[in-house]
Amino acid sequence: MPVEAASAAMRAARARSRADVRLLGAIDDLFLLDEARLSERTRLIFARLLADTIGAVETELRRQAARLLAGNGAVDIAEELLSGSGAADRLMAAGLLRDEALVDALLARVQHREIADALPAAVGSQHEASLLVRLAAVPDRVIAGAARALLVSDSAETVTLPAALHHRLVWMVAAAIRPAIEDSATDQAIAEAAWRSLGAHDEAESPAASAMRLAVAIDARPEELKPLLLEALGDRRLSLFIAVLAHAAGLDFDQAQALVLEPEGERLWLTLRAGRLDRSTIAQIALALSDADPRRDIEAFADRLDHIASVDPIEARAAVALETLAPAFRGAIRALSRSERS
Amino acid sequence: MNAPGPVAASLIAQARVDREGRLLVADPAIDALNSRAGGAMGVVMAVPQLATVARLARRLDIPVSRSVIVADEDVDLELWVRAEVDGEEVRLAISGWREVPGWRPAPTIGQDHVDADWRWEADADLRLTFLSLESATAAGLDPFALLGQPLTAAFLLEGKGAGAALPILDALARQQPFDDQPARVRASARPVMLSASIRRDGAGAFAGLSGGVRMVEAAQAETQEGLPASFTGGLDRALRAPLTRIVANADSMSAQADGPIAPTYADYANDIAGAGRHLLALIDDLVDLQAVERPDFVLALETIDLADVARRAAGLLGVRAADGQVTVDRPAADVTVAATGDFRRALQIATNLIGNAIRYSPPGAVVTVSAMHVGAAASLIVSDTGKGIKLGDQARIFEKFGRVDPSEEGGNGLGLYIARRLARAMGGDLIVESAPGAGARFTLTLAAAPDRRA
Repeated sequence: MPVEAASAAMRAARARSRADVRLLGAIDDLFLLDEARLSERTRLIFARLLADTIGAVETELRRQAARLLAGNGAVDIAEELLSGSGAADRLMAAGLLRDEALVDALLARVQHREIADALPAAVGSQHEASLLVRLAAVPDRVIAGAARALLVSDSAETVTLPAALHHRLVWMVAAAIRPAIEDSATDQAIAEAAWRSLGAHDEAESPAASAMRLAVAIDARPEELKPLLLEALGDRRLSLFIAVLAHAAGLDFDQAQALVLEPEGERLWLTLRAGRLDRSTIAQIALALSDADPRRDIEAFADRLDHIASVDPIEARAAVALETLAPAFRGAIRALSRSERS
Repeated sequence: MNAPGPVAASLIAQARVDREGRLLVADPAIDALNSRAGGAMGVVMAVPQLATVARLARRLDIPVSRSVIVADEDVDLELWVRAEVDGEEVRLAISGWREVPGWRPAPTIGQDHVDADWRWEADADLRLTFLSLESATAAGLDPFALLGQPLTAAFLLEGKGAGAALPILDALARQQPFDDQPARVRASARPVMLSASIRRDGAGAFAGLSGGVRMVEAAQAETQEGLPASFTGGLDRALRAPLTRIVANADSMSAQADGPIAPTYADYANDIAGAGRHLLALIDDLVDLQAVERPDFVLALETIDLADVARRAAGLLGVRAADGQVTVDRPAADVTVAATGDFRRALQIATNLIGNAIRYSPPGAVVTVSAMHVGAAASLIVSDTGKGIKLGDQARIFEKFGRVDPSEEGGNGLGLYIARRLARAMGGDLIVESAPGAGARFTLTLAAAPDRRA
């Protein structure tokens, strides 16, 4: 075949495969379940958070690797590393970012932030400092320290990923920033930079960890639970709300967060009932969350409120008992029942 | 009296509805609002937002507070509604009564103070609850020690004007946003400008401030250089997509793509598309303007062929020339004039010059585009036979927004200003020679480069 004809055939084949990709994408999009569809706003914030998260790791690795290389006299490669970018694009194109755990963690963070930002503030009384600020000033040094840590970590705009996820992401980015020309000294420098980043990662600085420390330090007694949960929501401190709930129900932060982010809220209401919270508290929590989250249906909740409020706390505890088991245990139970069903 | 004056803003009006949502009693303000919406006593409230709040309070059996915006004839009112169950009835208390503009731009995600260098938030007691960690540290503050402290622990507020009034106090008293509170960072004494908007809680009460900090040195540098980068950047982002959509839709209406419409409407659509394109061009120009006015603006210079630039620019404007029945005479295909410049920017200048020439030429006229070496310089010359430019106006056309006749259609007074700045950034210049009635002749000169073919 003459060269032009071959290249024309190749172009046609490429165009066909692009059209195919477009069609498959359109089919996925058109038949997506409504409840799985993300809002444009969520997609946008997610994309930005993903880019920022990867970008932060990329910048750190490039700078540190470049510093090491420049120290060894490899200035050209160091400068190439410093001026490079695009790890996120490479990882995206390679499909490596379709990582369930990564998407789950970032999406939870996005939805958490969206709801926290939209929560209606409720001020207890004028000229009184907000809940967290008050807690940061109490004489109990453990509580004050934890409250201060949460104030700080809530102000951080980046995401602290769980260690295992951060570990995977750092190595992915490390692979993505390798220059086109392979060179063992460069690889060595990138690897050292990656180890350094892994060593510096401190999950304890995340809002989740600070909020859990605070909830544990407060250790709310049953009668304190109601005002604390409502005040945390009124102060728009969703992390603290989740942590207090988690501590009271014996869940870890991520489990409690999943319950709070679920738009149907069924498991959340049961967990609140298991904590012996009354009708009015559950209604106030539902109203605040639904004001902050357009996916929620407050009228449907109102239809079920009497029923929810009548659930016996002991029954409720039994119904959500499974949630309180260790995540790995629950995962294994789920996998087993899935395979026995099929 | 459907637009409440400032006095009404402090009014708390009361009403009661029964289990079915029927209005039993109402203060005059609520009664009037409900009647204007077509409601009456004894029937279900006609303002849907109010009915919803009352219904939720009854169904959930908890007090419900909400900010709602209701349409009241030709204005929109922002109301703070609180509904509380009282036995068999629901009590409504409505305050606020603020008139709001009918349309509000969507808030920028995660950033209320877009032109601020960094952000802060304070609670109702004006204690800091948020600080942008990195920026605050860079400004010499210790955000970790300041969170939870009063705003004044971070900033030394300064007075303004003769009475040394604090804008923040005035703003708090009026519950209005402010953007002009001068202050100094306590730790470093660096001058900053604070801005903030008021955050409210569900009952409309003051819940704190959400603000931004602008470093003042940065602000001054921007004022000297005209448009701040954030302004043009924001303009570009905010306007380009909607304008492109307006133009595309207007174009398909004008082309009657979805079926026939009356010719007048097709013409209107054409006008809309034309106006939209004009605005898009203006945005391009403003973005360029912002770039060329930056002190560190440089162009990557390489060897380019000015004759090729002239031919391409003339080709790009072929349709417009044909529409105006103007002939564009361009350099022959074998002419080469090597010069030192930036290809894209040279093409932009040539397109601007030829576009102007076509615009000011009568039907049947000829616009001549030529390129040649003159000594150590390479020139691209565009001459027309239009009405020409008076000597007194010749300097003005290169000024920012400098137009000879502002009533004339097309153009925004930025093109030639940008073109000259670009020419000078390439080490060349752009000049005009003209006399009234004798047409105009624009010459772009760049340094000649050795002919690549030689």
